[in-house]
Amino acid sequence: MQYKDYYKIMGLSRNSTQDEVKRAYRKLARKYHPDVSKEKDAEAKFKELGEAYEVLQDPEKRAAYDKLGTKWKAGEDFRPPPNWDEGFEFKGGSFTGGDAGAFSDFFEQLFGRAGSRPTDRGPHGFHVRGQDSHAKIYIDLEDSIHGSTRNISLSTPEMDAQGYVKVKHRSLNIKIPKGIKPGQHIRLSGQGDPGSGGGKAGDLLLEIAFNSHPLYRVSETDIYLDLPVTPWEAALGAKIKVPTPEGSVDLKIPPNSRQGSKLRLKGRGLPAKTQGDFFVVLQIALPPANTERAKAVYQQMQQELDFNPRLSLGVKSL
Amino acid sequence: MNSHDLLPVHTGTVIEDDSLTLEQLCHACGVHADWIISLVEESIIEPEGDDIHLWRFSGTCLVRVRSALRLQHDLGVNLAGIALALDLMEELENLRAQLKIMGRD
Repeated sequence: MQYKDYYKIMGLSRNSTQDEVKRAYRKLARKYHPDVSKEKDAEAKFKELGEAYEVLQDPEKRAAYDKLGTKWKAGEDFRPPPNWDEGFEFKGGSFTGGDAGAFSDFFEQLFGRAGSRPTDRGPHGFHVRGQDSHAKIYIDLEDSIHGSTRNISLSTPEMDAQGYVKVKHRSLNIKIPKGIKPGQHIRLSGQGDPGSGGGKAGDLLLEIAFNSHPLYRVSETDIYLDLPVTPWEAALGAKIKVPTPEGSVDLKIPPNSRQGSKLRLKGRGLPAKTQGDFFVVLQIALPPANTERAKAVYQQMQQELDFNPRLSLGVKSL
Repeated sequence: MNSHDLLPVHTGTVIEDDSLTLEQLCHACGVHADWIISLVEESIIEPEGDDIHLWRFSGTCLVRVRSALRLQHDLGVNLAGIALALDLMEELENLRAQLKIMGRD
């Protein structure tokens, strides 16, 4: 078990006031809140912060934690010294109702686990339907195009008979329906929290997100592809082969196409209820002038084409 | 043979846009109807349908209610603050998606 330096986690010194603890928590909570933050390990940081705050906001827990002394380093192997908690009583008491299932072994060793609060579970003797539970799953674009089956792993905190929170791991095979779009939910009946008193289990609601794809981008039901083209294909028009998730198709590039032009292939997006479209975004690639011949072609264009790309900037002559 | 192949395959139902009733939304988020109603009054979520009995919520509402719940619980944000935060977060999300489409991320 590793020692956790709660002061360091919150960026505080050991003699910070309770007000400073609260202010530091508010500030860091905003920074690392999983809904707000785009930091990579925001969720883990937020949990760690919640745990640190759970201890430091409570004068009693804080005093007990302080008693461990300052010789411990974060991450160091830790065993509580004998009788370290003499004179303190916090087992099962005063928890703020934070996400106690997520607290570390270190925390549990020192302060015990958050007990159950029966009121949360509905009155005894009634049939109470279990809570719906939630998870976000990442699928590939191809899963939505063709429909598929994905295996997902879920970890759910569950309360055992003694009221302790335990994390349960399970694995489910899920059918991904064809045409599902990012942000949509799949409801799995009876796969949520178990009910109590013989009540029905809740549902599991899966929010769909897409893994990023090396070629395509998805927006709602539309799919986008950046397509490199030569200057002469863009200028003169061309018929070229374009990859789509359902195989390559012939695409006609109209003459005088410009950089960034969007061409639409109707009905080749996600096969959702309202069928999406496929958009090709033209990216004009310049051939390098790395041979005498290539240079000569550029020089010829320079001499023969009257082209000023900066006209709109008000620059009259080249 | 992969061990996953031995598990049964679960087929769920897709929650279509504007299909959740108030009761389903409450149950899905583990909150009281009163709180959902106050979110509607603050226009944090906007159901289809005029009458409370006809209200239908989308999957997006579900995501917003759950975010709202976390903002209130974790950061102590009030309803007006939640409304502002969610709208700004949504705008940020859209801008990020735009940037992605422009290939700038």
